[in-house]
Amino acid sequence: MTTELSPAVTRIRAQIGGVQSGLADWAVELGRQLAGVRGKVHGSAIDALALPAVEAMLGDAERYITGAGFIAGSGLVAADRSYIAWWQGPDLERVDALANFSTSSMDRYLRAEWFRVPFETGEPHATGPYIDFLCTDEYVMTFTHPVVLQAGGPVAGIVGADISVQSLERMLLGSLTALGPTATLVNKGGRVIVSAADALEPGDLVTEGDFTTSLDIGNHLVLLLDPVT
Amino acid sequence: MDHHRASSRGLSAVFAPIRTGGLAEEVTRRIEQALETGLLRGGQRLPREVELAAALGVSPVTAREALSILRERGLITTVRGRNGGSFIIDGYLPSTDLALQNLQATTRLQINDLGLHYEAIASACAGIAARRADAADLHRLHQYLRPHEDTLLSWRLVDSEFMLEVGAIARSARLGRELVRMQADLGTLTVLPYTDDVFRESSVGHRNEVAGAIGDGDVLAAQNATRDLIHTMVSWLLRRRARELPMTKG
Repeated sequence: MTTELSPAVTRIRAQIGGVQSGLADWAVELGRQLAGVRGKVHGSAIDALALPAVEAMLGDAERYITGAGFIAGSGLVAADRSYIAWWQGPDLERVDALANFSTSSMDRYLRAEWFRVPFETGEPHATGPYIDFLCTDEYVMTFTHPVVLQAGGPVAGIVGADISVQSLERMLLGSLTALGPTATLVNKGGRVIVSAADALEPGDLVTEGDFTTSLDIGNHLVLLLDPVT
Repeated sequence: MDHHRASSRGLSAVFAPIRTGGLAEEVTRRIEQALETGLLRGGQRLPREVELAAALGVSPVTAREALSILRERGLITTVRGRNGGSFIIDGYLPSTDLALQNLQATTRLQINDLGLHYEAIASACAGIAARRADAADLHRLHQYLRPHEDTLLSWRLVDSEFMLEVGAIARSARLGRELVRMQADLGTLTVLPYTDDVFRESSVGHRNEVAGAIGDGDVLAAQNATRDLIHTMVSWLLRRRARELPMTKG
């Protein structure tokens, strides 16, 4: 059996893939719901549409999601204004709510990779690991997906979910250890997310060339195995 | 992409949900912080009581109380009628008067001790950042050497954002949170040195050295340059407290 097909790799792919496909499904559903809103889309309508889905995500312990929501790009609610409908934690705490009243709220998200990349490219994205100073103050990965109101239309906003690196360790360390003492999950930049190796801390940088095997996990993450000796 | 419009990640503390304690005072404090950091601007209309209450998860009574405290402090004005509401007063600036009062009310011992704590946390972050920085990290860090606008608010934002960026590069959540807390403890004091042109330019030099050392992966140099940056600020505050330095800009 090749490494590619080992059960541990399949498990890791299913767990990361599950988060991303869940978001993709929600993006489609929310886009359809928003397209069905008559007249101008108000913040309260966005809240009412987004909250049940977020509640389900945060309530599902299997999914390890610490925060999730929708952020409207400029144009959906008003020109040059964004709108954030994002909640975190088991008590569904509302995040960054005063920003919805700020005339400069757009700037807060435009420069954030997790918003900017899916908004500009129309492609899903994984950001991190990074310290989320805006919401949780935790070390997290943020998965985001563009939302369009009709197929081929402009991106109206993004949906996203935060997973703490701590949760990713709980989720994946067993599978990594099964693959070998140095099996390491990194992002495309070679930044360690979870590693079976004691010497590698989350946040460290590794060189892909130092490992003999490198497997894609979804479109954004890489599993490194068997260090060059 | 404009990185220097006044908005800050340090605001997470401002917009975190409110759970316990003197709620109206807490709402007030957050709106004041949003003003100090430029998220809310002069002339801007505040949400109605009900909206504000819903957004922050407090009761409308609490929101009304907070608005009335802000009105008493002269930060907002309320206009009646159909196009009425509460507005941030025009031309709001971070208050150097308030900061000066705080400075005089703080003992030399407290200022020194705050400085030492800040130095310890910030230089630890800088040391780790020197090991972990990649090209994108360095690019972002260099955005915060000096502001694009020559205003007090912009200089102060660059000051706090630069250090938060160092914390972000270090990627330790605990140290990052501690940095945010330290900046809150220093509060408005950090606005004062930036009234001084000489300090402004010297701070750019120090930030440049910190960024350079992090770029070189030089842990010790990054730590030392960060200590120098903070030490310069603390010395300025102590000298100003002794009234040995003039304030050149309001």
